Amino acid sequence: MLQNKFLFNQSSVSLEIIGLPDFSNNENKDYISIVSQWKLMIIDKPVIEGNVDHLKTIMRAFYTYSISLLNNEKALFESNLIDIKPENFHTHILLLKSSKPEVKPLNIKIGNSVLADIINCFDQLGSSNKVKNIYSKEFKSVKDKKYLFLRDKKNISNLLIPPLVSLCSIFIVSTGLIYIYENNDNRSLLNNKNKLISIESINKLL
Amino acid sequence: MISRESIQRLDLLLLALETIDLNGAESLYSLSTKLNLNDVIPNKVTIWKLRNNNPMRNSFNKNNIKLEEFEALIKLTTEMAKFLYPYIRQILQSRDNLTRNPKAWNEFKNRYIELIRERFNTNSMKVKRLLDPKSNDEVFIKIILTLAFCISDDGFLKLRTTLLNY
Repeated sequence: MLQNKFLFNQSSVSLEIIGLPDFSNNENKDYISIVSQWKLMIIDKPVIEGNVDHLKTIMRAFYTYSISLLNNEKALFESNLIDIKPENFHTHILLLKSSKPEVKPLNIKIGNSVLADIINCFDQLGSSNKVKNIYSKEFKSVKDKKYLFLRDKKNISNLLIPPLVSLCSIFIVSTGLIYIYENNDNRSLLNNKNKLISIESINKLL
Repeated sequence: MISRESIQRLDLLLLALETIDLNGAESLYSLSTKLNLNDVIPNKVTIWKLRNNNPMRNSFNKNNIKLEEFEALIKLTTEMAKFLYPYIRQILQSRDNLTRNPKAWNEFKNRYIELIRERFNTNSMKVKRLLDPKSNDEVFIKIILTLAFCISDDGFLKLRTTLLNY
């Protein structure tokens, strides 16, 4: 059976997708729903290839990393398959880890121009209606930063703890002050009482 | 409610496009006609007025930009970035290899700074920081990179999400 092949190009990067249509769903013979192979070719760099799950992980890695770059967050992506981190603000280091233990991790340095080309190749793949079941609209699934901020339990605790601590401290301090004030009041009352008693006893004696 | 930072960022992106395309203001308006944005952007003056919502501008005028106007400017930005991608990429590549190929980056940077000096309030701390040669490379790279990431069909959504998160 002949396999379909689609190529997505952007300047220095090409993404090749090879696969078959899903005939069980009466799909057009020109489509790809079952990806058997893919290759990411960057000029002057080794070819990156793998199965469909690898492609999904790599796409997620690049999208997540690019979003954090744009949002001025700490740009870093780590997974079992790929790590991406910045060397400086114009060079990025990709560390591709093989699932086979005997294969050493592959270290690739890319610049911003190549990073943009890779993202645009993935975007082309996403916009293509001929290749299905790969692109999960990573960018659309990324929620609002403020929403993400509230979803993070650490952030919620950071948000709630300071006012709670301040309320507790106000309560403790005011209770303490009331207690001291009341004690002083009671003491002065007792003193007054004692004075009155002593005056009364003096009066009696007189 | 659109934040000040979002408007500032969008205006800086548009300014970067104007830096690359010397006839940028004209191109933006002709693009708005092509994208059927005439209801929101009927003329060039409207684009200028909307961009004046950027508090860093000399001619800052708070008009409370509406979401549809903000989105129209984002559409213009992504569409224009799509056309100018070869130049955008060339600038990024030049910055990647600054020692070997500094021309495109230096030209872009000098003209961008020139436009900032011309149109922005140089007494403002934010503008001073933008003009500071020690730190502005990183900001300018991020601006160009943002344009480079948003040239796809989903570019509008990407840029909208990014800007509204500021």
